[in-house]
Amino acid sequence: MSGLGAFWGLYKREVVKIYRRAFALVMTFMQPIIWIIFFGSSLNGMPREYLVQFFGTPNYIGFVLPGQLATSMLSTGTFSAMSIVWDRRFGFLKKILVTPAPREAVFFSKVAGAVTRGLVQVPVMLAAALAFGVALPLDPVGYLEWIAALMLLGIGFSSIYLAVAMKSSDWQHPQLVANVMNLPLMFTSTALFPRTFYPAWMRAIADVNPITFATEIGRGVVLNDPYTPTLLGYLAAFAAASMAIGLLVARRFMTAE
Amino acid sequence: MNGNAIEVLDLVKRYGNVTALAGVTFSVSRGEIFGLLGPNGAGKTTTIKILTGLTPPTSGRAYVAGFDVVRQPNEVKRRVGWVSSEVILDDDLNAWENLELQARLQGVRNWRERATELLKYFDLLQSAGRPVGGYSTGMRKKLEIATALLHSPEILFLDEPTIGLDVNARAMLWDLIRTVNREFGVTILLTTHYMEEADALCNRVAIINLGKIMALGSPAELKSSVGGEVVELEIERPVDLSALKRLPDVLDVAASDGKIRITVRKADETIPAIVKSLDFSAVKSLKVEKPTLDTVFMKLTGKRIEESHVDYRRFYAMIRRSRR
Repeated sequence: MSGLGAFWGLYKREVVKIYRRAFALVMTFMQPIIWIIFFGSSLNGMPREYLVQFFGTPNYIGFVLPGQLATSMLSTGTFSAMSIVWDRRFGFLKKILVTPAPREAVFFSKVAGAVTRGLVQVPVMLAAALAFGVALPLDPVGYLEWIAALMLLGIGFSSIYLAVAMKSSDWQHPQLVANVMNLPLMFTSTALFPRTFYPAWMRAIADVNPITFATEIGRGVVLNDPYTPTLLGYLAAFAAASMAIGLLVARRFMTAE
Repeated sequence: MNGNAIEVLDLVKRYGNVTALAGVTFSVSRGEIFGLLGPNGAGKTTTIKILTGLTPPTSGRAYVAGFDVVRQPNEVKRRVGWVSSEVILDDDLNAWENLELQARLQGVRNWRERATELLKYFDLLQSAGRPVGGYSTGMRKKLEIATALLHSPEILFLDEPTIGLDVNARAMLWDLIRTVNREFGVTILLTTHYMEEADALCNRVAIINLGKIMALGSPAELKSSVGGEVVELEIERPVDLSALKRLPDVLDVAASDGKIRITVRKADETIPAIVKSLDFSAVKSLKVEKPTLDTVFMKLTGKRIEESHVDYRRFYAMIRRSRR
């Protein structure tokens, strides 16, 4: 059917917008890079034994890099929510919905666009880590699994954020949702700190927080820790469930205004 | 189902307790330029939204290109093009990319050929590689019409096509609408609150106000329905009017302080007879008043179109409240 063609057309639009609006892209790199520069620099001066005791490794940047990349997939969610709100406000959604293109194509194109935007950060962040002297191991399979993990995380978050913004035409809503969700999700994961020193209730949240799972997979690669492949299965389940919710909401609530 | 391009039967649309359309019936023949003329908030855009499948009617039936807009929306959507009142293009994309997106949404194969033809026709080929954000208003409007024509629709919906355009751009667009209708063989339904626009472009016009059609016919029919044209003579001294009153095409003669107002069916054809029927050396000046569609609107509603706009912000605030 025309669904696939419509998806491809809409996805191409999202990709073109990523590089035509390079400034917005640079903004998404800023937070993780700033984290690496400032936290990395200040913590690298700590006595080695403290670092090892607390983080389990003397390499703080190597420790926090997977956490930052996982957390940055939250911003893909914010972006997808923002883009559907803008499309509604500028009437672009109307223009799409007066064609036979199915709503599912619109939904998938937003998710895929957001995930693409998120994954563009991976090489940039790896390069930044290399520049700060992190020795990245050569582990092709590991990197593929890591990227798959980030992709699943991005699919999950952008689906949920899209569902939340599906009926909104207020551009402040996505920002509001981001403020309410992003920081708590980051702090209740192992993105910044190891779970060992968390209180029991935070540990309980961290153990089901998908950001933790993507972080641990990344750490497995960067710090040469072994990890269990069920982590990827958990993320796949998270992505599938979120996508199902997002699709249901899109079918029911994606209207022109 | 007959061969009409659009068939609308007793269409009603309510948003909560706000009635946007209160039972509208009309049909548009193939190849016609049909106008919905009325003030803002009259129900014109709501009608287009229903006919393009963007929103379902509360009750009533509508067939577009022979398909039911509620039961077969995709069949309808494949056969219609829509140009909104505000230009909707992606400013980050260039003309080619905007056209490609439309082609993929409509499932048009070999779109490049058709797109090149349209860009050439609309004189946009030179600038087609530039992001649309830098286009002038007229260029954007043209590109939007080109995207709406890309999938060769049978029917084109133009919602307030010349709103916000300057005089030159408006004249250009009127020409364009006429040639698109003629050369591409597209039926056009347009909405407007400019009476000159409806008069200049449309084969038939439906005058719509507060969700109801007040009158429907060709511009000439509508204008003659208000009682003909007026020839006004300014005279220096009293003249004998008896011969004038006996003329067959003269409907009414009214004389007052140095002026004679003669109501006739067609001024152009009756003036020679008027000149012969009275002592024209007494006439200082002659003026012809032809009724406009605004005269028609005024006779039907007691107000000018310009005075009848529903305050948009209040209207939509009302709709939003009633939805809760």
